Amino acid sequence: MARKIVKYLLLVLIVGLLAYNSVYIKKLSEVQTKEAAAFDAASFAEKRWVTQLPARLDSAVALDVLQSTIKTNPAFAFQNWFNSISIGNIRYGLVKVNGKVLSVNEDDVTILAGNATDPLTLTITTEYVYGNAIRDAARLVDINDFVNTTDLNNVSEEVNKLVRKRVLPAFKAQVKKADSISCTGAIELNQAHYSLNELEIIPVQCKIIQQ
Amino acid sequence: MIAIQKNNTINLARLQSLIALLFLCAIIAILSDKFLTMDNGWNVLRQIAVNVCISVGMTLIVLTAGIDLSVGSVLALCGAITAGLLKNGVKVPAADLFIGFTILGALLAGIIAGALLGWFNGFVITKFKVPPFVATLAMLTIARGLTMLWTQGHPISNLGPAFSVIGTGWFLGIPVPVWIAGVVVLLAIFITRQTRLGRYIYAIGGNENAAILSGISINKVKLIVYSIAGALAAVGGIMVTSRLDSAQPNAGTGYELDAIAAVVIGGTSLSGGKGSIGGTVMGAVIIGVLNNGLVLLNVSPFWQQVVKGAVILVAVIIDKGGKKK
Repeated sequence: MARKIVKYLLLVLIVGLLAYNSVYIKKLSEVQTKEAAAFDAASFAEKRWVTQLPARLDSAVALDVLQSTIKTNPAFAFQNWFNSISIGNIRYGLVKVNGKVLSVNEDDVTILAGNATDPLTLTITTEYVYGNAIRDAARLVDINDFVNTTDLNNVSEEVNKLVRKRVLPAFKAQVKKADSISCTGAIELNQAHYSLNELEIIPVQCKIIQQ
Repeated sequence: MIAIQKNNTINLARLQSLIALLFLCAIIAILSDKFLTMDNGWNVLRQIAVNVCISVGMTLIVLTAGIDLSVGSVLALCGAITAGLLKNGVKVPAADLFIGFTILGALLAGIIAGALLGWFNGFVITKFKVPPFVATLAMLTIARGLTMLWTQGHPISNLGPAFSVIGTGWFLGIPVPVWIAGVVVLLAIFITRQTRLGRYIYAIGGNENAAILSGISINKVKLIVYSIAGALAAVGGIMVTSRLDSAQPNAGTGYELDAIAAVVIGGTSLSGGKGSIGGTVMGAVIIGVLNNGLVLLNVSPFWQQVVKGAVILVAVIIDKGGKKK
């Protein structure tokens, strides 16, 4: 009997010790106050959109320049016009495109652009804007300023939201087949296996030059 | 005499697995100079560690002539529970209460959740006499759905460097996951060889009716076995989550097949009663080396599945051939 009591006492002691070291209790209101003071990705994205993005768009490389340079000196092209803050071969760059609309589709717009001697058929995304392409291509963040990847990803999400809200509706409403357009946006290339064929541009700024 | 014959059969099965493993290593080493490097060796062991944990649980179940198809989903759910509790805790707005979890707390919660899910599998199988294949197939979907609900379809990331130690750390020059898998294997060997539970597991798988007549509470044993398997799937889930520093809602997809493959290749009979933890470890190593070799040799992922399936098939055919003799 005494042995049984000791056994159960030991068990309760172990469970108690584990429970004590497993959880801690705080006031929810205090925790929420701390969370509210945490990083605000929406404000961050808005600020960068207004203060940094216009200059980055102005300095975006023209597609025909990229087209010729990537053939002759790909290392230079990736070094100067592309960026990524994650590991791997995927690189993002801002590119300026002037072209003629071939078709307006449900999710994108197909255009003909690039060198006159070697024209390219590209798509401009008008529906699904996801990923880190714009954030990284426009160099909107310095990874050292962030303590976690959630905040970094949230910046991408907020920038993409701004594109969906401020860029796409107006463009989609106006664009028609055979329009001449000027568009600056982010592209993604694999620096180990790159090809400019079937390039997809996530637009940040689009203008219809001639209807 | 029968005992000697049985021992010889088990030793032969192990020898076959060992020869297969050595043969596989030799072929991959000839075709890829990266295979026989220390870095790759540790990498393979790290990857195998997760499958070893799941496979050990699966072996115990298969020894009772059961099967558990839900381990991959349970792994994902328990990894997500651990990550979610560690990162977000539990909020009780009505009482203005925030219950935060330490690493120890989150780990215990994940493992207990795994054991409970396993116990539920066992309960359905024993109470309602549902075939293990069907009961665990249902749990596969339920657990995957619960994972999606818990994570809202998004990964739970940034769990902190202390938590990452479980999946990426080193202790005494050996990766932590390998230590964990080692402890799991030793405990399982101890249970199967030295305890009454171990003997009951073999007895139930060998002849369930005889086990009932011998007074073994087969329902209780099955409940324990399925709970252990669930808890071990949770351990695997915690290792995967820690290694990725992120709980992925689709983690563990297809892991049940790797676990079953390891058990079968290791010589455990799917009809129960025969097999060993050591054999399963060997099977898991073969699967791990095969996966690694196929990646190193740049074999297309589609062909990798074909090759893996073929290896399992050959293993079963050899096993059947051995038994006939």
